Amino acid sequence: MTKRLPWNRENRWRWIDTLLAAIVVIGALLYVYELMVGSRGLQVDYIAANYGQYLRAVTVNLYMTTVAFVVGMTVGFFLGWLRTIRSVPVKKVIRDYTALADASSRSPFVRSGMLALTVAWTGVKYLVRRIGDAYVEIIRGTPLFVQILFAWSILVVNFPGLFTNPSSVAFTAGLVALTANTAGYQAEIFRAGLQTVHSGQVEAARALGFSRLGAMRHVILPQALRLIVPPLTNEYIGLFKASTLVFILGVQTEITFVANKNAFAGHVFEIFAIVTGIFLLLTVVLAKVVQALESRFRIPGLGIQQTRSERHRARPAEVP
Amino acid sequence: MDTAAPARTERPRARLVTPTTALRGAEIAAGATLAILFFQEFLQFSLFDPNLWLAYGPIFLGGLGGTIRFILLVIPISVILGFFLGWARISLHRVLVWPVTMFVDFFRGMPPLVLVIFAFLFGDDLIPQAIKDRLLAGIPLRVVSVTAAAFAIAFHSAAYQAEIFRAGFQSVPMGQLEAAQALGMKPWQAMRWVVLPQTFRLSLPPLGNELAVVIKDTSLLAAVAGGEIVSRSQNFAGTLSISGYPVEWLFAIWTAVAISYFAATFTVTRLLLVLERRFHTPGLEAVSI
Amino acid sequence: MIRVEGIHKYFGTLHVLRGISLDVEKGEAVVVIGPSGSGKSTLLRCINLLVEPDEGRVFLEGTQVNRADIRREWVRQQVGMVFQSFNLFTHLTALQNVMLGLTQVKGISKDVAATKARQLLARVGLAAKEHAYPAQLSGGQQQRVAIARALAMDPKAMLFDEPTSALDPEYIREVLDVMTALAREGMTMIVVTHEMGFASSVASRILFMDTGMIIEEGTPDKIFHHPEHERTRSFVDKILR
Repeated sequence: MTKRLPWNRENRWRWIDTLLAAIVVIGALLYVYELMVGSRGLQVDYIAANYGQYLRAVTVNLYMTTVAFVVGMTVGFFLGWLRTIRSVPVKKVIRDYTALADASSRSPFVRSGMLALTVAWTGVKYLVRRIGDAYVEIIRGTPLFVQILFAWSILVVNFPGLFTNPSSVAFTAGLVALTANTAGYQAEIFRAGLQTVHSGQVEAARALGFSRLGAMRHVILPQALRLIVPPLTNEYIGLFKASTLVFILGVQTEITFVANKNAFAGHVFEIFAIVTGIFLLLTVVLAKVVQALESRFRIPGLGIQQTRSERHRARPAEVP
Repeated sequence: MDTAAPARTERPRARLVTPTTALRGAEIAAGATLAILFFQEFLQFSLFDPNLWLAYGPIFLGGLGGTIRFILLVIPISVILGFFLGWARISLHRVLVWPVTMFVDFFRGMPPLVLVIFAFLFGDDLIPQAIKDRLLAGIPLRVVSVTAAAFAIAFHSAAYQAEIFRAGFQSVPMGQLEAAQALGMKPWQAMRWVVLPQTFRLSLPPLGNELAVVIKDTSLLAAVAGGEIVSRSQNFAGTLSISGYPVEWLFAIWTAVAISYFAATFTVTRLLLVLERRFHTPGLEAVSI
Repeated sequence: MIRVEGIHKYFGTLHVLRGISLDVEKGEAVVVIGPSGSGKSTLLRCINLLVEPDEGRVFLEGTQVNRADIRREWVRQQVGMVFQSFNLFTHLTALQNVMLGLTQVKGISKDVAATKARQLLARVGLAAKEHAYPAQLSGGQQQRVAIARALAMDPKAMLFDEPTSALDPEYIREVLDVMTALAREGMTMIVVTHEMGFASSVASRILFMDTGMIIEEGTPDKIFHHPEHERTRSFVDKILR
C-alpha cells in the first residue's frame, strides 16, 4: 500500500512558499543585473580577455596573506602561550619565597635578597605578561587601515634610505601591518586553545605517569591542535579579506582595477562579476577545506564554543 | 508590625567601577604614560607638540566628528537590519529564508573594502530613478556616494549580526515557545514576552564584539575620501612636507588616530559588558556564533 | 468533557495517529501508557491543538474545536498543559512565570495576578521560592512551578506529558503528590506517564497505546493484572518488572 502525502493546508502552503521564494530571488538578481548592465549587454569577451590580469592581482593578495599568516603564527603562538600564564599568583609567590628562605641560611641579608629577587622576578613576569595583553588589546581595538598607515609612517620616517621605490615601501608596510595584526588575533586563538585543554588534563596525564614532555605530546597537543585549527583557518580567510586593504598604499591588487572607474566605465558589471566571483569562489573553497579538515579531525565533545565567524577573529572563547 | 520579608534572591547589581576596572584603569594610565615617554625619547616624536596641535587640531576634531556621525548612522541600521534578517532566517517561510540567506552570504563573503568601493562608485546608479527624483533631489553626488558606502558597511555588519541574532533565537529552547502557546498566548505575545527577552540577553556578548568591529570598519570610508578621521588625517599627512612640518609628526598623527579608535571600541565593549551584567539572569548563558 | 473522534495525524509519510477515539468525563483522571513513538504526546497535543489533526474531530464540552473559525488561543486557555521538560521561562522568576499567563493572556492586573500566583505557588509548596529563577530550582521544583503556571489559567482540564520522565528519582514523589492532590480535587486530567504506582492509585481508566492506536483500555486492575491483548501484556510486564 503506497503512502500518499495528504494534500492538506500545510503541504499546499509549502509549494506556494517555495515558488514565491524562487520568484523573489530571481527577481532580485534580474533587477540588479538590469541596473548594472542595462542595455549594454554582457560583454563576455571582456571577461575572457582580462580575467588573467585579475587572477594575477589576486595572487599578490594571497602571497601577502600567507606570508603574514605564517610569520604571525610564530609571534602569535608565543604571545598566546605567554597569556596562559597566570600573572600574579600571590599565594604561590609567598609560598615560594618562604620555602626558599627557609631552605637557605637565616641571615637577614640573604633573606631580604631572596625577597627582592622573588619580587623582581614576579614583577618582570607580570610586566611581560601585561605588555603582551596590551599588544593584543591594541591590535584588536584599532582598525587595520590605521595600523597599515602607522607601519608605513614608521618605515618612511625611520628607514628612508632602505627602499628603492614607493611601491616596495608600501608592500613592506602592508606586510608588516598584516603580520602584526594577525599575530594579535592568533595569540587569542592559541591562548584559548591552550587554556581549554590545560585544566585537569595535565593532572590526569601526570597521574598516569607521563613526564611533562610526554603529557604535552600525547595529551595536550592533540587536543589543542583540534581546538586551534578551525579558528586558525577562519583567521586565514579573514586575513585574506583584510589584505585587500593594502591597495590603499598603492600595492597592485585586484581592487585597483575596481577603483579605476574611468578606465573601465563601460564594463561595470563585468568587473563586478569578476571580483565578486573571485572572492566568493575563494571563500567558498576555503570554507569547504575548513569543513573537511574539521570533520576529519573532529572529536565529539571537544570544542571551544569558538566564534565560527572569521570576522571576529578569535574572541576569547567560552568553554562549553 | 511587619513580619520579616521572605529572603529575596538579589539581582546582581552592575557597578560601573569594580575593583578590577580600577586596577585596569591604573594599568592603562601607567602604560600609556610610559609608552609616550618612551616614544618621545627614543623615536623622536612628540605627541604633545603644541605646534602640531595648532595645525592638526581642527582637522583631528573635524575628522572625529565625521567618524562619530558615520558610527551613529551605521550602527542603528546594522543592528535593526541584522535583527530582522536573523529573525527571517529562522522563519518557516522559504520566501523569507532564501532571499535573506542570499543577502547574508553575499555580504559576508565580500571584503568590506570591496563593498565600500563598489557602493561608492555604483551606489548612485543602483538607486531607482524615481526615488532619486523625489527624495534626493538637491543632494550632491559625492554625498550620495559616500552615504551609499556607509550603507555598504552597515549591510556588511548586518549580515554578521544576522548570524548572531539567529543563534540567539535558536538558543531559546523550542519547548518554551510551546509552553507559551499552551498558555494561550498569541504568537506575537510569545515573541514579545518569552523569546525576545532571552534572545536579547543571549546576543549581547557577540553583539558587543561586532559593534567594535563596525566602529573600526568606518575607517574604510577613507578609501573613498569619506571625510572621517582617517581620510582627513591622510590629507593632512600628505601635505606635511609641502607645508614644511617635521615628518615625525606622522607618528603623532597616527598615534592620535589609533588612540581615538581604541577609546571608542573600548568604551563600546565596556558599555555592553555593563549591560550584560545588568540583565544577567542565572541560567542564560551567552551564545557564541 | 473532552472527546476526540477518529483522529489521524501524519508527519510526512509517517502515520502517527491512526484513528484515535476517546471520551473523557468531567472529573476523570485518564492515564495513557505505551512504548515511545506510539503517538501519546502527539495525541495530547491534538487535544489542545498545538498539533492540528489531519482528520477527525476534537470536542471540548460538546463543542467541536478543531474548526477553522475557533481561535486556538481560546482552546488552550481552557486546557492546561505540563511538559516533560518543564519549559519554564528561563528569564523570569517562578512568580513571574506563573503570572505571565494571567497578565498577558487574561489581561488581569499585576497586583491581582501576583496574589493569585502566590496562592498557587503555596498550593504546590513553593511559596518560599517565588523570586528564584528556574536555573536555581531543582527539577522537581521547576515542574511544580510549571504545574502552578498551568493552573493559573483556571483550566477546565489538564494535560500532562510525561511530567516526571525528566526528573531525578528523588524529585518524582513531590510532583506526583501535587498531581494526586489535583486529581482528588476533581480536576479532569489526561496523563501520559510511566509511573505505574500513580496510575494504579489515581487513574479511573488506563489506555494502552501502540503504533498510533489505542490497543486496550480499562481500569488499572484490568490493564495491569488481566490484560486482554498480547501487546498490552508484554508492555506491562516490561514496565512492572
